[in-house]
Amino acid sequence: MSESPNTGVTSRPYSAPMAQSDRPHPTNLADLLERVLDKGIVIAGDIRVNLLDIELLTIKIRLLVVSVDKAKEMGIDWWRNDPMLSTTAQGLVEENRQLRERLDELEEGSGDSSEEGSSG
Amino acid sequence: MADRGQYLFAVARGLDPQQLGDVSGLRDAAIQVLEHRGLQAVTCSVDLAEFGEEALRRNLESLPWLEGVARAHDDVVQATALVATTAPMRLVTICSDEASVRARLDEWYDGLATALDRVEGCHEWSVKTFAAPAPDSGDDAAPKDASGAAYLARKRARASDQRAAADAAAQVADVVHQELGRRARAVRRLAPQDPRLTEFPGTMILNGAYLVDDGSRDTFRSVAEDLARRYPDAGIDIRGPWPPYSFATLD
Repeated sequence: MSESPNTGVTSRPYSAPMAQSDRPHPTNLADLLERVLDKGIVIAGDIRVNLLDIELLTIKIRLLVVSVDKAKEMGIDWWRNDPMLSTTAQGLVEENRQLRERLDELEEGSGDSSEEGSSG
Repeated sequence: MADRGQYLFAVARGLDPQQLGDVSGLRDAAIQVLEHRGLQAVTCSVDLAEFGEEALRRNLESLPWLEGVARAHDDVVQATALVATTAPMRLVTICSDEASVRARLDEWYDGLATALDRVEGCHEWSVKTFAAPAPDSGDDAAPKDASGAAYLARKRARASDQRAAADAAAQVADVVHQELGRRARAVRRLAPQDPRLTEFPGTMILNGAYLVDDGSRDTFRSVAEDLARRYPDAGIDIRGPWPPYSFATLD
C-alpha cells in the first residue's frame, strides 16, 4: 500500500469521500449521455440517425467524454465563444498569450545581464 | 407515410410487463412490451413529427431536448432493470412499427442473448477518482519588473510540482481500478469527463465502470468505500447500482 507523497499541494478539495450508492440510475448528465449515446445495444432502426452528423453530438456532447486537451489536438475550440464556458476557457487563452509575450520580452533582452523589466 | 414510430428502450429477458408499474414512455405514451422468442422489447409509440429523421436532426442539437429524452429513456431502462435482465438500447432507436421491432429481435437474436447472458444477475457501478486542483500559489501576481530568470524558475518548480501530483493521482487511480476489478465480473475504463461540463470540480483521472454480481454488491461497495477512506485526496465518487449500459453490448 502506498501513500501519496507530500508534493507541496496544500489545497484539499474533498473533505469527505462521496458514496452515492442506492441511486438507481445516472444523475450526472455526462454519465447519462455517455451511456445512452455511446453504449448499450446499437442497432439501426428504421428512422436513420447518424449521431456523428449531429454537430451538437459531435462536438459539445463528445466533449463530455473527451478531455479538453484532446479536443484542442483535434482542432476543436468552439468553447472560446460559448457563453457557458467562455470565462474559464478565455482565461486559459489569455494566460498563454501573456506567457508568450513574456518569453518574447525575455528573449529580446537576453543579450545583456540587465534585470530591468520590459515595457507594457 | 406513417406518422408514428415505435421507440425501443431496451431488450429484456424474463420480464413480466405488469412488474413495470406505472412508468410511462416518452410524452406520456404507454409502455408496450413486445414478446418474441423469449425476449421482451420494451417500447412505446412516438410521433414522427418529433422523432422522425428530420425532426431528430433538429432536436438532437438542443441540449435541453436531448437531456429530457435521455432522462425519460433512462427512467424506462431503470424500471426494466429493476425487475428483469436488461440490455439497454442506444437512444433514439426507432422502428416503423411493432412488426419491424420483432424483425430486429429476430435478426439480432444471438447477439442480444449473448449480451443478456453477460449481464444477467449484475448491475453497473461507476467509480471515479480525481486529482486535486493545482494550488493557487499566487505566482501570477509576481510584479512585472521581477527577474525573468526567477519568474521562469518559479514556473518550472510549479510545473514540477504539478507533474508529481499528476503521477500520484494516476497511481491512486490504478490501485483503485485494480482492487475494484477483482470484485467485478467485468470492467471498463471510460474516458475521463471534462471538469467544466460535469458536476465534478476536479480533474477526473479514473472513470471506471464495473459489472458487479448482485450477490457481491455489498462487498464491492465496502471495498470502494474503504478505498475512498484510504485515499481522501482522490475525491473518490461511487455510484450505483445502475442498469448495465457499458456491458450489454453487441460484440
